[in-house]
Parts: sequence; C-alpha cells; structure tokens
Amino acid sequence: MTAKTRSIRAGLGIATAMVLALPAAAQELTIIRNQDSNHYDPARTAALSGSEVLFMLADTVVGLDEDMSTIVPHLASSWEISDDALTYTFTIKEGVTFCDGKPMTAEDVAYSLNRWYDPETKSPVRWRMGDVKSITAPDATTLVYELNEPHSELLYQLAQSFGSVVDKETVEALGPDFGVTGFNGTGPFCWESWTPRDKMVLTRHEGYTWGPTNYENTGPAQVEKVTWQIVPEAATRTVAMLTGQGDISPYVPYIGVDKLRKAPTVDIVESNEAFWTNYVGFKITKDMVGDVKVREAINLAVNQEAMAEDLFFGEVEPAYSYISSGALDWDESLDDKLLTYDPEKAAALLDEAGWTLNSAGKREKDGVVLSPLAITFTGEWQTTVEAVQADLLKVGIDMQIEPMDATVYWGKSATDDFDMYVMGFPYVSAGDALNLYFRSSNIPTPNRMNYNDPKTDELLLTGSHATSDGDRAAAYGEVLATVHDEAIWLPIYHKPMQIAVSKKMKPFEAHNIYGAGLYKGLQLGFAD
Amino acid sequence: MLNVIVQRLILSIPVLFGVMLFGFLLMQVVPGDPALVVAGPSATPDVVAAIREEMGLDKPVLVQFWGYLERMAQGDLGRSMISNKAVTEELGAALGPTLELMIGAMIWSVPVGIAMGTLAAVLRGSLVDRAIMALSVAGVSLPIFFISLVMIQWLGVTYPIFTFIGRPGPWYTAEGFMGLFLPAFSLGLILIGPVARMTRSSVLEVLKLDHVRTARAKGLSETRVILAHGLRNALIPVITLVGLQVGYLLGGAVVTETIFSWPGLGRLAVGAILSSDFTVAQGTIMLFALGFITVNLIVDVLYSLLDPRVRK
Repeated sequence: MTAKTRSIRAGLGIATAMVLALPAAAQELTIIRNQDSNHYDPARTAALSGSEVLFMLADTVVGLDEDMSTIVPHLASSWEISDDALTYTFTIKEGVTFCDGKPMTAEDVAYSLNRWYDPETKSPVRWRMGDVKSITAPDATTLVYELNEPHSELLYQLAQSFGSVVDKETVEALGPDFGVTGFNGTGPFCWESWTPRDKMVLTRHEGYTWGPTNYENTGPAQVEKVTWQIVPEAATRTVAMLTGQGDISPYVPYIGVDKLRKAPTVDIVESNEAFWTNYVGFKITKDMVGDVKVREAINLAVNQEAMAEDLFFGEVEPAYSYISSGALDWDESLDDKLLTYDPEKAAALLDEAGWTLNSAGKREKDGVVLSPLAITFTGEWQTTVEAVQADLLKVGIDMQIEPMDATVYWGKSATDDFDMYVMGFPYVSAGDALNLYFRSSNIPTPNRMNYNDPKTDELLLTGSHATSDGDRAAAYGEVLATVHDEAIWLPIYHKPMQIAVSKKMKPFEAHNIYGAGLYKGLQLGFAD
Repeated sequence: MLNVIVQRLILSIPVLFGVMLFGFLLMQVVPGDPALVVAGPSATPDVVAAIREEMGLDKPVLVQFWGYLERMAQGDLGRSMISNKAVTEELGAALGPTLELMIGAMIWSVPVGIAMGTLAAVLRGSLVDRAIMALSVAGVSLPIFFISLVMIQWLGVTYPIFTFIGRPGPWYTAEGFMGLFLPAFSLGLILIGPVARMTRSSVLEVLKLDHVRTARAKGLSETRVILAHGLRNALIPVITLVGLQVGYLLGGAVVTETIFSWPGLGRLAVGAILSSDFTVAQGTIMLFALGFITVNLIVDVLYSLLDPRVRK
C-alpha cells in the first residue's frame, strides 16, 4: 500500500468514525423492507406492507398477544359479548388522543369501523367484519357492535390493521389523499412524510400510553423516529444489515439469513408460528387434476423436505398441512393423516387412476398425456414450481409451467385457464384461512380451486357462527379433514418469521399478526 | 438558429401525439388488471368489480382514450390508479433524484472518457492505448448490476460513510452527497467505455484530415493541434453519443436505481408498468418522450455551434 492510499484510507476511516459517532442517529430507527404499499388508508388496502406501517400509525379496538391466540385490551379496556354472540359492547379508554392532539372517543371508533364496512369504501377485506347490523357509540366511552349472525372470529379480525381508528375530519379533509399525503391516528407513531417506493418516516407520538397490554411498555415508544426504507434488491438488504445501515429488516433473503446469524453485529429474531403458508392449488374442475387420486399422487410425489433444504437453505418448515399446526383450531388428529413424500405410493395411485406409463415414460390415459399446466409468479415461486415439476416428472407427470409477472398473475389466476396455481397467504386461525379460500361464494377468487361443496359451506357457516370455542373448533376441524382428504392443495412450506436485528437493539419477541413482525413497535429500543 | 429550434418544436408535436397513442394502446394490450392489484389477492369478485368500475376500467377503450386526451390537453396527467397520488406529483418527486444521478454519473465520466479516448488516439498502438481500450471493453461488457454490487462490497462495506440504501437527501448536503456517490460512480463507470471508444476512433479519423496536416505545417504545437483542431472536430459524434446516453439514463437507469434503492424515474416507470398503473405509466412515457425530444434539440443546437456547416 502506498503512502497516498494509506492516507486516503485513513481519511475515510476518520470520516467514517465521525459519521458513526453522530449522537443524532441514536434514537432513530431504520427498518429495511422490500416493497412499499400502494397507500396507507387502512380500510382500503390489504397489503402486508400497508399493515406493517398502519399498526404503528394507528390503534385497533383490541390487540393480539404474541401467542397469536390471546386477545388483549387496546383502545377498549374491556368488552362484553351477549349470550347470543350477536352484540359486542366495548368500553373505550378515556384520555386517548390523535396525533394532532384531539381526544379520541367511541364515536371515532364507530366512524372508522363503519367506514370499513361501508360498501362505498370498497374495502377488499370487508368480509372480515362479519354480517354487521350496526356499529354505534351511545356515549363517548361505549361502542356497540351488533351482528345479524354470530362471527366467532370477530375479535381477531378487529385486531387487524383494517380496523385502525382514524380521525374523521382528516379523512374528509384529505379525501382521496388520505393515507397518501397525510394521516391522523392514535398510534404510537405519527405520520411525518411518505415518498412512495423510497421511505416512510414516522415520529414518536408523545404522550402515548395506551398500547396493547401484551407489551411491557405500553407507551410512549422508545425510539423517536422510525424510517421504513424500501430496498428492493435482496443482496443490498443483506449488506445494509451487515454494515449497520439498517437496524432491523424482516426481509432478509433465505440465502443471507445464515450469514447474518453468524455476523457479530446482527441477530436473527425467529418465530416458527408465523402463520404464513405457501401452497400450490388445484383447479379441481379441470380434467387433468379433477381426480382426487391424481391430486393425492402429486402430493405424495413432491419432496417438500428436500425443497426446504435445497431451495430455502433449511430456513423454512416443509408443509404437509394447509395451515400451520400452531394456528388456532388446527385439528391435531389430522397430523398422522397428512400426505408426505412417498413416490412409490404416488405411482401406484396413478396406475389405479388409469394413468399408465407410456413408452416415453410419461403418464397417459386414453391417448392424453398427464400434463397439468401450472401458472406461477416469476422469481422465487418459479424456482419452487420447477422443483415440483422435477419431482412430478419422476413419477411420469409432465407438468407444464407458465411463469408470469405478479400483476398479470392476479388477473390470470381469476380465470379457468390453468390446472394448478401458486399462492402464499397469512392467517390468524383455521377459520380465517378456510372461510377465505373454501367458501363456494368466493369462486373465482380467492377460491381459485372452484371448490364447491355445500357441506363445507354449511360447516364454515357453523364455525363462523359458533358461540363456543369447542363448537367452532369442531366445525373447522371437519372442514380441515374434508379438504385434506380431497387433496385440494399441495402445501409447500410454512414461512417462518425471521427478522434481522442489529445487536445495538434490545432483544424482543417477533409478532406474527398478518405477517407484520414488528406490530406496534413499542418493544423496539436501543440498548444503552 | 431560431428557425431550427422552432421547426424542431413544431415537428415534436406529432411525435408527442404518437407517443401518447402508442403508450395508451400498449397499456391496453399488456395483460394485467390494476383493479386486481388494488383489491389484493383475497378480494372477492364483487369488490374487484366495484373497484374496476370506480377506476373507469369498465368503459370502452375509445371512451377511456378520449378522456385521456381531454385530460392531457388540459395538462392534467390524472392520478395514480394505485396510490391515488397526482401523477405530476409522482413524476416531480422522481425527476429530481434521476437528474441528480444522471448528472452525478456524467459529470465525471464524460470528461474522463474523452480524455482517455484522446490519449489512446494520440498514443495509438502503444501499451497505454491497449490498456485504455481493454478497460473500455470491460466497461462496456460488465453488467451494471455486477459493477454496482462490487462497488457496494468494495467501498460500501469497508467505508460506511458511503451509504447505499436510498437517497438520504439532496446532493449538496453531506449525507446526500455520500448517498449519491456510489450509485453515480457505478453508473459513470459503464459510461466511460463507450465515450472513450467513440472519442478514440473519431479523433483518429480527424487527425488524418488535411486541416490537421495544415495546422502542423503552420508549426502549431502538437497539444494545440490535437485539442483545437483534432478534438474539437472529433467531438460531434461523441456529443451524439452522450445525448443518446442522457435520453437512456433518464429512464434507463432502472437497475442502478433498484440496487441502490434510488427513488428515480426508472423505478417509477417499471413499478407503474408492473402494477398496471396506467396513468403513471403513461405519464412517465410522456416524460421520457419529452426528455428525448429536448435532448435531441440540444444536441442539434450544439452541432451548429461546433460545426458551422450544419448551420447552413
């Protein structure tokens, strides 16, 4: 090294030290993620990237514990449910204020929930609210939520970001710009600025003390400022965490997780109960996959464990069930009945179904080769489907793949022009997942399988209207057994929650609500 | 000169109309439905239909195009179908960072490229010439994502003052400059190659010409012969090339913008196309077209300044 390069290096080193020593950065948190939301109006977005920020900007009537099953008080200090499970009466806390200082009352809660339910709002997740009769605020601290039919999932749904309480005046003043140019909520953080596709900056809501009780710190937040920085390139996200340019990232690529785990400056906070499952679905009304034996054979022929190991570096849990076994109302008696890797049995089933091997080694029946068409997103999903294709070819199934971009995919997946499709989804419970995907009224989306079974519809209603935990679990258990028997899906893996965290931060537990691992952000603070 | 400019401006009107029509039709034939993007994967069919109606996507294509022309005539680019933000606002927010990145890359790479090319021409056949040409070929051949990742690894990891996630501020602030440095440096590296190669061959051509021999015969110093008589005349094709690069960089620095999370026009355009955000996509297409037209106009004016024959 020459004297000149030495002095350049020394200069850069000093400058680096000076930048790193800046005290201003100490209470400012940078969270790195892969993509932005289309906007931040809670009632009008179903995007995870929207929920991640909205949980921090606004509050919900009730909260959800890290265990993903205990409902905890949040804006409501307590609630009562009538015996017929049709009326929920919430006592709303006093002393809660919006970011602009205005007091929040039960009327604001009623306004926000009614706005979510109003067909004019065109909320993509309106169904989560159940069959609402009325939502009213008889006085400043009472909220009455009346249903036409019981909705056993209601409290879980009200904990989602879609039920965020917002300020009516701001909504009306901003019109279509609400959640685009500004926001006014009661959350632990307040809206400072949003540059789409670049960053969202939030500042601490001073005086915030009404956080959900699952947190030791119910407010105010420990950090003064949070920047949600978009970094679309996965390798850049990994390096940014390694160099300390980001403090937290829930979006580290699987290939980088182990590297970060071993890095001296970064920890990986993990939770296997993330309740996010990736699966391949069958369009069961199509000839290629209409026979349950073929679908079972496909389930048996695919080696999820090898895929988890080879494609995802052992970071994901191979899935055989349609929802995670830790989720509320999963029926444990199904554990032994799940279809696991057994290519020989798969081949036998195909023979039984009349699909015999031809001279080219492909399965054929009445002159038709068994070649189901799978549509998939490009990128990671495409790699996954290619691995499925390779496994299926070993038993003689000549699966075809049509990869496409996400936007094209959503449109295509609403058609009948394919036999198999891919999807990943977050859920809070069995009921949440089953009601969404298996109701016949949800054909063609999100019930892209064209699954239409009156008995299942009835059981889903029973589960949804159940007034006791036992009845609900029994109904959903029966649906789970039916759809697994019918092999409607090919589950691939349960995605874990993995959050890369700088060692400068205090340790915390990951949350899993709707895939938003940081939830309210009240637990986030720098170690001394 | 004024005539040339006016004539060019008039000619650009049908070009812009063509771009509008083409941009509109292109978005119509591209598969994808913005209503589905807005609604999300779990939305039920009735919700998707309602959103489609709200966006006006249920109307016939001709009605949509007429509405679009009407809005454009009033200078209204509409609102983003996805974020609902005004398109002008989206474009305005992305234009600054893109110009910053483009100028940041060109301000050092063009002079360096011209100097390298001239040096290679003057020392033709020498080791220096070969070394410069080898570097140029490497610069042209190496993909920008590779160069960018190497720069992040080489400079960003070793010296944390060079930030590489997003744009921390305008270039004239300390943090803004440090945030601009790596993307502008990486992008500049790929521009040096073409500029150096073009300059070299152009200077070589010019140095063979009679007026250069005359200049030498007059007893001018070699430096003056090369700079005043050689390089000045050799710059015309180089300016064309740089002009084209400006047009390309206005919308084409997508990869650099993605790797460095730079909130510029390239990412805006790609994001809009990928999410079927028709209005934003059309807005960016219009802006790119305007950019190209303006750059070409400037190049033409520069031609006439450099070469009096063009003026006639």
